[in-house]
Amino acid sequence: MRQLFKNPTRIFMIFLVATIALGGTTACKSKKKLAAEQAAAAFEAKVTKAKKDLNAIINGTSDMTLDEQRKRVAQIKGYNINDPEIDKLISMAEKEIDFQQAEFDRKAEEERLRKEEEARRRAAQSEYAVIDNKFRDIAESKSMDAANAQIGLTLQQFASPDVPVLIIISQSGSMNDYDRPTTAEKFLNYLKDVKAYKYTVETVKRDSLGKITEIELLKK
Amino acid sequence: MKNIAYILIMVIGFGTTSLFSQDDLSPERKQAIDSLALEKVRDLSKYVSIIGNKETQWSEANRVIDRAEELFMQGSEIGVSSLVRTEINYYDIRNYFERLMRLNYNKVEIEWYNIEYVSDLQRQPDGTYVGVITIFQKFKGYDKEGRLVYQDTTKKDITVYVKRKETQIGGRLIGFWDVLLGDIRVKETTM
Repeated sequence: MRQLFKNPTRIFMIFLVATIALGGTTACKSKKKLAAEQAAAAFEAKVTKAKKDLNAIINGTSDMTLDEQRKRVAQIKGYNINDPEIDKLISMAEKEIDFQQAEFDRKAEEERLRKEEEARRRAAQSEYAVIDNKFRDIAESKSMDAANAQIGLTLQQFASPDVPVLIIISQSGSMNDYDRPTTAEKFLNYLKDVKAYKYTVETVKRDSLGKITEIELLKK
Repeated sequence: MKNIAYILIMVIGFGTTSLFSQDDLSPERKQAIDSLALEKVRDLSKYVSIIGNKETQWSEANRVIDRAEELFMQGSEIGVSSLVRTEINYYDIRNYFERLMRLNYNKVEIEWYNIEYVSDLQRQPDGTYVGVITIFQKFKGYDKEGRLVYQDTTKKDITVYVKRKETQIGGRLIGFWDVLLGDIRVKETTM
């Protein structure tokens, strides 16, 4: 020991080793603490972001698409954050997404039906326009013979001359008021007699051969 | 006491009748049946013109007489006047149109104008709407030389009846307004 103190270099070396050893332990401890603090901060940020995203989904203010929202909620669930508030928000967000999805599907179905109805109406209108034109041709015939020829041709479109012709004189909601029902033959001759066609075809029923079995007209 | 009860029944009865006899149609529906009745009279004016026209083929005239007859209530009559006599003769519908078809002129022109309501359609206790439409008829008769040999203008009143009816068509019940014309009365005949 005496010898040890007699050699100052050796003392310095021992001091240096001790200092390094002690200093290194302290530095290592700080790094771990820092890492732990950083991890805690990151986790806190993750939780905050998760809450923010979930609330945005619940309040309907999220910029994400429904698919993205669903994936985001799955991702948050995957974090396994053991937090009752987060769990509650996840549940609410899932319900909101399901509701929004159902709304989206309903609107898409409505739009599909509207387009289908529009297409059907256009097809019917173009079909009905042909019939309207035939009726107008009879009313505007230059002579009785010409009108009779037109009547003969038009009657071929009907299943029989006695096919009912219904004339709507007013519509109130789903209820129609009709004139006294007449027949195809009488109606076509009526057009010839009064020389005017003041109707539009509203509906047409046909048989398997495509012949008209009932026609509804709307008085203009 | 019996009298009081009787009076009460009468008062309630009249009140109920009055309530149910009120026009329960919307203005739009009422206007639709007003127009429908006017339209029937205008149709009749076209038929009269066709039947009276000497150029109309016999078969066509008879077909139109059938259509015209369908516009009227059974038993209705049409008045005929002339500047050369004071009395007004009334004929049943078929007879009137057949006489019109056989008028002793070479050419006949008949025009109806100023067709309008003089008495609006009013709902009756049985649900029928009754009104009166007035028309002016200009009649011109020509001989074979094409000379105008007779003309007059007659004001006529037509009673119209509109009733709601139902019929089955294609398995469904159709509610329709049946317009029927009643008597056509001569009101005035001038040059």
